[in-house]
Amino acid sequence: MRQPLKLHSSIALSALGVGAFLLAWEALARSGVVPAGLLPSPSAVPGAFLAEFRSGTWQAMVFASLSHYLSGLALGTVLGITFGTAAATWGIWDAFQAWVVRMLRPIPSIAWIPFAIIWFGVSKSAATFLIALTVFWINYYATYSAVRGVDKDLIELGHAFGQGGLIPRLFKIVLPGALPGILSGVRAGLGQGWMTVVAAELFGISGLGARMSDASGLLATHIVVLYMVTIAALYGVCDFLFMQVQQRVLAWQK
Amino acid sequence: MAKVNGSAVIDLKGVAIGYGAEAPPVLVDVDLSIERGSFVAIVGPSGVGKSTLLRVVAGLHTARAGAVTIHETKKPGHRPVSLVFQDARLLPWRRVAKNVRFGLEGLPISTAEREERVAAALRLVRLDDYGRRWPYELSGGQRQRVGIARALAVDPDILLMDEPFGALDAITRHGLQDELLRIHRETGKTVLFVTHDLEEAVHLADRIIVLGGSPARIVQDVRNEPGRDSGGFREQVEQLRSGIADNYSI
Repeated sequence: MRQPLKLHSSIALSALGVGAFLLAWEALARSGVVPAGLLPSPSAVPGAFLAEFRSGTWQAMVFASLSHYLSGLALGTVLGITFGTAAATWGIWDAFQAWVVRMLRPIPSIAWIPFAIIWFGVSKSAATFLIALTVFWINYYATYSAVRGVDKDLIELGHAFGQGGLIPRLFKIVLPGALPGILSGVRAGLGQGWMTVVAAELFGISGLGARMSDASGLLATHIVVLYMVTIAALYGVCDFLFMQVQQRVLAWQK
Repeated sequence: MAKVNGSAVIDLKGVAIGYGAEAPPVLVDVDLSIERGSFVAIVGPSGVGKSTLLRVVAGLHTARAGAVTIHETKKPGHRPVSLVFQDARLLPWRRVAKNVRFGLEGLPISTAEREERVAAALRLVRLDDYGRRWPYELSGGQRQRVGIARALAVDPDILLMDEPFGALDAITRHGLQDELLRIHRETGKTVLFVTHDLEEAVHLADRIIVLGGSPARIVQDVRNEPGRDSGGFREQVEQLRSGIADNYSI
């Protein structure tokens, strides 16, 4: 049987694990076993950050990617929740769109890259489109099942107290009741959205992904690692901020 | 049929209830006139259609046959019927006061009157200081009080109660039964109360309707004048019990 660890020993062990990982990586990079171009040492990353930051490249790339990310995220989330709610509450619409959804759903966003370029060119709009597409499906399905899962007894309660019409039913019972599930979808979209940012920018739209692609072409692998770390940090910040909002919004949950 | 003293607030004529169009009806020939201000209990075995009858009066279920008439008081800012459920059924994302306010939303009353009615309803169930609590912070009995406050806030002609104390422990149940009698005295509301507990019916109601048989129909309609606070309690329960047994094959 596993013994549960105390919190501080668990934190200490995690820190030790990260430290050991970085040390092993550094040792391997310096040993000369692997050519320097193939495996940058982690100690090269802070220097790369300072150079990129001083030239203003880092800020420009972060800003560009953030703007793709936020616009795609907003568009995909709003549309996903809207269409998911409509399909879950309106049977005729659900049946009408069911097979279209089945056909489109399995196509990964990156498979749309050719069309994104044809329709929007190598532009911010193309990246936004691809990110929105990824985020849309996550929110669509999360909302659909959350809305379908709302307690039918609460809907009956609405009818009993004069709140059975479409608008009060939707805004006073269905959406608040589905909110925990909807927010789980938004959070999953937050993560998947970042993955699509990189994929969308690899074909040339300015941003973190494009910078990584350029740097890898020049075998400047320490810059690639810098932007990998940057993406991880940006995702961490987004997820942390979202969790704070989520906890506030769902304070009614025990 | 019991003698009607006051004016009727609900009239049921030849009401039949069933589930689905094909299945045979579960409850038939319900002719019932309920006086304003009375406390009527509907008792009978499980599956006899008690709760569904209540939902028909509430307009949540359509009767297979017959007519339901509610003689509504024509006054603005109220709902003719309101319902208290067995499971309290509070909206977990609304604080207590907002749960009580739920039925008032959409009624043509001012914000000030709405808030006053919420406060008055909470006072009536003795939860004055609980308005800011979340439902999960309440005990089962307190949640049911909020359900009663929500139903009373809309100032209904008829308060429909569907086994409201069925899920509570005995001590809480007895406390709430007495609270309900006090509220009934203070407000003078007509109460239609479904229960499968004969003792509860005899303790609370001034009239008891017994459903039984298959398909079920009204098998007894008892005036329970001496029932409350009198020595005839045990006899009343026994009398009702044998009335049900005669019409119910196990």
